[in-house]
Amino acid sequence: MNNKKQKDCFYCVNQLEVDYKDVRTLRRFINFYMKILPGDRTGICSWHQRKLTQAIKRARVMSLLSPTHK
Amino acid sequence: MSKSKASGPSRYELLFIVPNNYTEEEAKTIVAKVEGVVSEQGANIVYREFWGKKKLAYIIKQNHYGYYSLCEFDSEKNVIAKIDRTLRLSQEVLRHQIVSAVVLSDAERAKIKDKQEQSAVKNEKKDEKPIKEKAARPTAVRTEKNESNKAELKDLDEKLEGILSAQDLL
Repeated sequence: MNNKKQKDCFYCVNQLEVDYKDVRTLRRFINFYMKILPGDRTGICSWHQRKLTQAIKRARVMSLLSPTHK
Repeated sequence: MSKSKASGPSRYELLFIVPNNYTEEEAKTIVAKVEGVVSEQGANIVYREFWGKKKLAYIIKQNHYGYYSLCEFDSEKNVIAKIDRTLRLSQEVLRHQIVSAVVLSDAERAKIKDKQEQSAVKNEKKDEKPIKEKAARPTAVRTEKNESNKAELKDLDEKLEGILSAQDLL
């Protein structure tokens, strides 16, 4: 009973590598509250999802992304 | 440990922020200094990129803005800790991060940037459309409402005036 459609992985489809400096792309996988979206929401494959979380955290350290929405 | 030494130098990427209390020229000299620190340790700098002044996502040590600079270099693994330490001690670098990177040629780098740009533009276009539709609907409703309200007000005014004049007559 799996009603969820499996989306295509953004990084696999566009043949991009996850980059913590590419904030504009990272933005689409972040909540309004600047939270990292889970893999079933982003539709990213688990391999890239792991890279993505790492990249977002790196971007936060370098003040490229805010850790909170305020 | 012996394995990593045998494999030789590997590619690293250093991103650092120079605080905003320097001018752009001063910041560039600081960038050169930092690169000097890196090359002093026997690292070979392959690629540099100066991003210029950018707004920080959050305030760091009362700085709202900072000069970002990127630097890629090949070096031995054991040297990274030394570079990290010297940068952490220096007052001229607000924040820095050393990350292992993939070896890229200039052409590949340009390609990746192009792709990132394209995907970002696509994404922003997608985002814009629904917002416009949503924004258009409520305003249309509002104008209709306003018109109907105005009509009602006019009617009320007329009625009131009628009543008042009638009272005056009495």
